[in-house]
Amino acid sequence: MSTTRMQPVTTPAEAPRPRSRRRRPWKGRLLLNVILSIGAFTMVIPFLWMIATSLKSPAELAQFPPTLLPQVWQWSNYSEALQAAPFHLYFRNSFLISAGHTIITLVLGSMAGYALARIPFRGREWVFMGFVAMLMIPTYTKIVPQFLLVKFMPLFGGNDIFGQGGTGWLNTWWALIIPGGLSATAIFLFRQFYLSLPRELEEAARLDGLNEFRIYAQIYTPLIKPALATVALLTFQESWNNFLWPLLVTTRDDLRVIQVGLAVFQQLDSTSWHYLMAGTTLATVPMVVLFLFCQKYFIQGFTHAGIK
Amino acid sequence: MVTPAVAHIGLWTALPVLATFALSLTDYNIFDAPRWIGIDNYIQIWNDPTFRLATWNTVVYTFWTVPVSMAIAMIIAVALNQNLWLRTWYRTAFFLPQVTATVAIAMVWLWIYNPQQGLLNAALSVIGIPGQAWLANPDWSLWAVILVGAWQGIGIKMLIYIAALQNVDNSLYEAASVDGASVVRKFFAITLPMLKPATFFVLVISIIGAFQVFDQIYVLTDGGPANATTMMTYEVYRSAFQNFQMGLASAQSVCLFAFLLVMTLISRRATRGDDE
Repeated sequence: MSTTRMQPVTTPAEAPRPRSRRRRPWKGRLLLNVILSIGAFTMVIPFLWMIATSLKSPAELAQFPPTLLPQVWQWSNYSEALQAAPFHLYFRNSFLISAGHTIITLVLGSMAGYALARIPFRGREWVFMGFVAMLMIPTYTKIVPQFLLVKFMPLFGGNDIFGQGGTGWLNTWWALIIPGGLSATAIFLFRQFYLSLPRELEEAARLDGLNEFRIYAQIYTPLIKPALATVALLTFQESWNNFLWPLLVTTRDDLRVIQVGLAVFQQLDSTSWHYLMAGTTLATVPMVVLFLFCQKYFIQGFTHAGIK
Repeated sequence: MVTPAVAHIGLWTALPVLATFALSLTDYNIFDAPRWIGIDNYIQIWNDPTFRLATWNTVVYTFWTVPVSMAIAMIIAVALNQNLWLRTWYRTAFFLPQVTATVAIAMVWLWIYNPQQGLLNAALSVIGIPGQAWLANPDWSLWAVILVGAWQGIGIKMLIYIAALQNVDNSLYEAASVDGASVVRKFFAITLPMLKPATFFVLVISIIGAFQVFDQIYVLTDGGPANATTMMTYEVYRSAFQNFQMGLASAQSVCLFAFLLVMTLISRRATRGDDE
C-alpha cells in the first residue's frame, strides 16, 4: 500500500514512563479501565472467534446460536485443511517472497539512503526530490503499467526482444519478487536514520584511508541496526500481507501466496468455514507473533512511516 | 551507490506513473496496439454512473473510517496516556488488527457477518434484534465494510497520537490545574491544539489509505450488491483486469490520484490554516 511521510513525528516509540499527572480518584480510574477493557476486548474478538471456529466440527458450526468455545477441540481441522488446499505451499511462497523483498530493501535501500544522506554528489538534491515525489504515488496509479511491464518483459516467458509473443514475467518468481522489492519509503527512512549520525566518524574513517563503501558497510550501517530491524519488519509485514499484486501476476497454484490462496479457497469452497478459519489462522499467526516479540521496532516504524 | 535504487524506482514507479498518464489518453486492450483517443476516457468516466457511485462510496467510506475513527483514536490515546495498569496490553490489543493482513481479517469478518451462523446475528438475537444478511443487503453492505475498515485502522491513528502526546509539555497541564481548569477544558485548550501537527499527519496518511481500500471489498462483497460497495480502486481493477480496458483503467486511476492530491491539499489548509 502506499506510504507517505509528511512531517516528522519524532518521538520515542516506547514512552520512558507515562506522565505523572495528579492521580485521578479511583472511581474514575476504574471506569476508564472498564471502558478500555471493553474496547480492547472488542478489538480482539474477531481473532478469538477465528481461532475458536478453526477448532470446531462442521456439525457444531451449523448450530444457531453458535457455541462460544468448541465442544470438542478438533485439532485435526488443521491437518485436514492442509489437504483441502496446499496452505503449507502458500505459506512457503509468502515467506520466500517476503524474505526476498526484505533483503532487497535492506541492501539497496540502505545504500541509497546512505548515499543521499552522506555522499555529496552532483544532482543529489534532484534525486532526493524525485524519491520524495514517488512517496506520494498511490499503488493504483502505477499498477496498470507495472502489469504491462511484467507481461511484456523482453526475452522472458517466450517473449521476443520487443516483449511480444509470450507471457513475460507473468507466473514467475521474478514478477513476485522484483517489482515490489524496493519502495521509496524505505529509502526515505534510511536517509533519515543515516542523517542522524555524527559526521566525525566519517572524517576519522577517511583519515584512516577507508573507501566510501567500507565507511558505509563497516562504520555507519552497524550503528543503525535498530533502524535496519524496523525497516526489515515493516517490509516483511507489508509483503506478507500484500494481496493485489500476487493476485494479478500469478494464476498457477504452486506460485500462490497465502492471502491469494485464502481468497481462492473461499471462492471454491464457501461452506468449509472450519478449514478456511484454520487457513486464516495460519496466515495471521506469523505477523501476530512477530509483532508481539518485536513491538518496539514495529511501533517505531509505524509512527515514522504511517503505513496504510 | 544510489544507482540500483534509482534504476529500480525509476523502472517500477516513475515510469509506470508517466505511462499511466499517457495510457489514459488511449484505447488499449493489451492485444492490439494502443489507439490515441484524446480525452474520450475522461468523458466516459464523467458520464459513467457506476464510477460516480464508486467515487461517492469511496468518499463515504473515507469519511467514516478517517475523521470519525480519528476522533475515537484520539480519545483512546488520551486515555492511554494516563498512568494505567495494563496500559501496554490495551495498546497491543488496539494495534493488533493493523499488523494482520486485510484479506485474512476480511475472511474473519465474512464469517462474523454470515447470515445463518454468524457471530453478529447471534449477538444481536441475544438482545432481541433481528439478524440481517449484512453484506447482501444494499442498505447495510457499505456500513459493514466501513466497520471493518474503521476497526482495522484505529490502531495506527492511536499510535501516532500516543507518540505525539508524549511531546506535550507536562507543565502546561500543571499550570492549567493551578488555574482550576477542568479535565474537559484542559483537553480542548491544551491537548487538542498541541496535537494539531499529528492530526494533519494522521489525516493525510489515513485519507491516502482509505482511498485505496480494495482487499476487503474483494473478499467481502465484490463491489456488490448492485454496486453498493464498489470503490474507485475496485473500478480500476474491473476495467483493467476483468474488461481489459487498460486506457480507461488508467484514466480512472488518474482521477483517483487527482482526488488524493486535492484531499491532501485541503487537509493541509484545514489543519494548518490558522497557524500562519
